Amino acid sequence: MQPSLQRRRFISGGKLSMEGDFLEEKAAVAMGEEDRYDEEVRAWSWGAASDGQLGTGTLEDQLFPQPLLNFPPLSSAAAARRIAQIACGGAHSIALTGDGRALTWGRGTCGQLGHQELSNCLLPKPVKFLESFTITYVSAGWNHSGFVTDTGQLFMCGDGSFGQLGNGDHQSHGSPVEVLFFSSKHVEQIACGMRHSLALVSDAGSSGSSIYGFGSGRHGQIGMFESGTQRSHNFPKVIEGFENCEVVSIYANGDHSAALSADGRLYIWGRRFSGRSDDHTPQISPSPSRITQVALGWNHALVLTDNELYMFGGYRHGMLSGSPQMSPMQQTLVPCAQARTLERVPCLDENVVRIAAGAEHSALITEKGTIMTWGWGEHGQLGLGNTYDQTCPQRVNIDYKGSSASAQLGIYCGSGFTIVAKVD
Amino acid sequence: MSAYDEVEIEDMEWNEELQAFTYPCPCGDLFQITRDDLRAGEEIASCPSCSLFITVIYNPEDFADPPDPKKSQPQPVLVA
Repeated sequence: MQPSLQRRRFISGGKLSMEGDFLEEKAAVAMGEEDRYDEEVRAWSWGAASDGQLGTGTLEDQLFPQPLLNFPPLSSAAAARRIAQIACGGAHSIALTGDGRALTWGRGTCGQLGHQELSNCLLPKPVKFLESFTITYVSAGWNHSGFVTDTGQLFMCGDGSFGQLGNGDHQSHGSPVEVLFFSSKHVEQIACGMRHSLALVSDAGSSGSSIYGFGSGRHGQIGMFESGTQRSHNFPKVIEGFENCEVVSIYANGDHSAALSADGRLYIWGRRFSGRSDDHTPQISPSPSRITQVALGWNHALVLTDNELYMFGGYRHGMLSGSPQMSPMQQTLVPCAQARTLERVPCLDENVVRIAAGAEHSALITEKGTIMTWGWGEHGQLGLGNTYDQTCPQRVNIDYKGSSASAQLGIYCGSGFTIVAKVD
Repeated sequence: MSAYDEVEIEDMEWNEELQAFTYPCPCGDLFQITRDDLRAGEEIASCPSCSLFITVIYNPEDFADPPDPKKSQPQPVLVA
């Protein structure tokens, strides 16, 4: 991507300075104007920066956590300055503020930023098209994005070449487009993978949930068998197996998909993890106890239970995400023949409260606020000041100067980068 | 170092701008291999931004040189 760096910098810079409503760049430079905004840092980012995905204005990989200044951008409402959720994709990011606005930055060449143009954006910028809606949930895939509103509408933008925008065609969109299939339904969550999407829909008058899949189904990731010629579905199709199940969260990354039920069971489908075949229907993953959180990578998954953190996959690419030091833990509570082996993540002496997985790296936050990372480190995505891989979680040092001690931290991983934010 | 992954050519996308078949790299960039590479029997697609590469699974016959149209066309017969 080297040859286009200069061009990109010029395009993004030009657009930023032409738009009067976008003051972040000025604000970051003119730090003297304390009365215009507060200086509290609410987010830090590190790792690959090829398309501006770190949101700090840089195009160079960052090996240490970097503060996002004046983020979210100045606004009169206090809720607008709170971060509710961040989603990170292949090389772009989405932040959801406390008052339901969406900001995006990073790679925009497929329209995934929703800014009505196909260029990268190096600093967080509001998605204007969605300003009249209250957004409650966001997801970022490889090159596409999804936004759920408080009224259960689903909007999507970016790469649609595999039908992952769900509107019955293979068009890409630079502005969010409502997925009309769901216009009479109530969407709760969206999960965007590499080339597919999942939508969680609440059913009024029923105890069950519905999960719909659309986009590429080559590896079973949309939960159905492909017919000989049809390898993708550009229209949402319900995934069977959740009729009597209350799903609380859905996940997608790479060609993997997963759903977590209210009673702590994990369903997983899509591309094989090490040594397995693809699963075209949801399979219950073995677990020694109730699962509370899940994070999917491209070749590994993290599973958090009430008191332990486990990982599966990972061996496939050696150093990238697995650990030869881990002792495989055989499971006896295996409801399906193709058992996955969970491995306990080593080197942890504090309880884990948050987890995240990039393509080939992992991150966590403990109850004491310790941030740890491990896995592939070539682009600095571990935030340890070097480009080494790590097989055990390592502590990341972030300067919390100006932070309020009560703030909860959230951690989010894009393919090759990581973001930590204070969330409410 | 071994290949990061094995990817079938059907899973790769043709990128007009790069004039190459591409597949997402975990760093955020794209693994790339040109038609000429495939024609020459190359099976490694590399990423310009990092050390990773993938092995591309394809049928070499699909990318073999097309028969030379000049040779297959009937040659004009010289008449005196």
